[in-house]
Amino acid sequence: MRLVVYNGSPRMQGSNSRILIQHFLDGYARFTGDSAAVAMIGKQGEREKHLELFRQSDHVIIVFPLYTDCMPGIVKAFFEELFELDHSERKHIGFIVQSGFPEAVQSVYVARYLEKLCTRLNAEYSGTVIRGGVEGLQMMPSWMTKRLLRKFEQLGEHYARTGAFSALLRAELARPFTLSPLRKLIVRLMAATGAANFYWNSRLKQHGAFGKRFARPFSRGPENGPTAADTSESSDT
Amino acid sequence: MRLTILDGAPPGTGTAWSRYLNDFTAVCRREHAADLFHLATMDLRYCRGCWNCWWTTPGECVINDEADTVLRSVINADLVVFASPLIAGFTSSLLKKVTDRLIVLVHPYIELRNGESHHMKRYERYPDFGVLLQKEACTDDDDVRIVSDIYDRLAVNFHSRVRFVRFREETTVGELRHAACGI
Repeated sequence: MRLVVYNGSPRMQGSNSRILIQHFLDGYARFTGDSAAVAMIGKQGEREKHLELFRQSDHVIIVFPLYTDCMPGIVKAFFEELFELDHSERKHIGFIVQSGFPEAVQSVYVARYLEKLCTRLNAEYSGTVIRGGVEGLQMMPSWMTKRLLRKFEQLGEHYARTGAFSALLRAELARPFTLSPLRKLIVRLMAATGAANFYWNSRLKQHGAFGKRFARPFSRGPENGPTAADTSESSDT
Repeated sequence: MRLTILDGAPPGTGTAWSRYLNDFTAVCRREHAADLFHLATMDLRYCRGCWNCWWTTPGECVINDEADTVLRSVINADLVVFASPLIAGFTSSLLKKVTDRLIVLVHPYIELRNGESHHMKRYERYPDFGVLLQKEACTDDDDVRIVSDIYDRLAVNFHSRVRFVRFREETTVGELRHAACGI
């Protein structure tokens, strides 16, 4: 198997996607004794290298965070480049989509696009692994992330053994798919007590911006200046 | 009424597209204010996911480019038209680049809406969305549903609603103006 894993997070080395990939590949290497090629889609000046890795591989996994309910712009640009390639050689392409939202349902819409993209690329769709609740992963103590990261190792080990994502692990990682009544109650309680905002508030305070957290810098009003549409001729940029 | 039209067509899309958007903007401007942004001609960078817009300079992106002009227009509009030819089954990376930057307009705090987690409002009101597309040779009904559903989801997170999804090839400028402005 010639596997290449693309990290589609704009945060690149500092990303949660990198951590998930690292654990996936730890599991992968446990079976193969060897690792796979990893490429950062967002890295400037490496476009040709990324495309060459794609050409040379027969298995491709693209990992990215959900950005505005879809793939990040840099990943879409990469898809457009892949679309231009010759697709006579059939590849296996799979995806791992992670998001800050706790429920997996938020990412199923982009997964439908990803499946269709594989048809366009004449590729075998290996499926999309969806994982929610990943934002803050790097701030969590290891006892909180141990089980999740272990699952990604198992996912990688299974992929090395079979060339496919484990359906069982995919289902486990996609939990919760939607919020259960109990979980909704917990979220409401956390919101009411302010506990739900702990992560954001601690970061806001750390940066001395807590007092400005509800700022509306682009509101129309004299203190903010006119919008382009307020000018005598609307803009045509 | 205020419209913001985000033209996500990459260079080389063709004159039919640009002529259509220019005509649409012109007829809208007869009675409304309309900002047309040709994204391909602007200095716009990709979102880095740094969250400085959420925890360092709340509501403002730290990237020094022309996105602020677009963001100010978007949040003060009644309708934002996401306009792009379909490329590899979805709107262009150019348009997605700007869409990612819209995250600055919502709040990082999460609330429950319709039983799901969604971002809280930063602003009092948000514009409706319209989507204008141009088909590829391989576009089918499934693609249209996929793209429409993703924009519907985007609208939920942006406290908005998708008022229309139209294709340039199937919609006259007058029909699009009716969909956008209701006249």
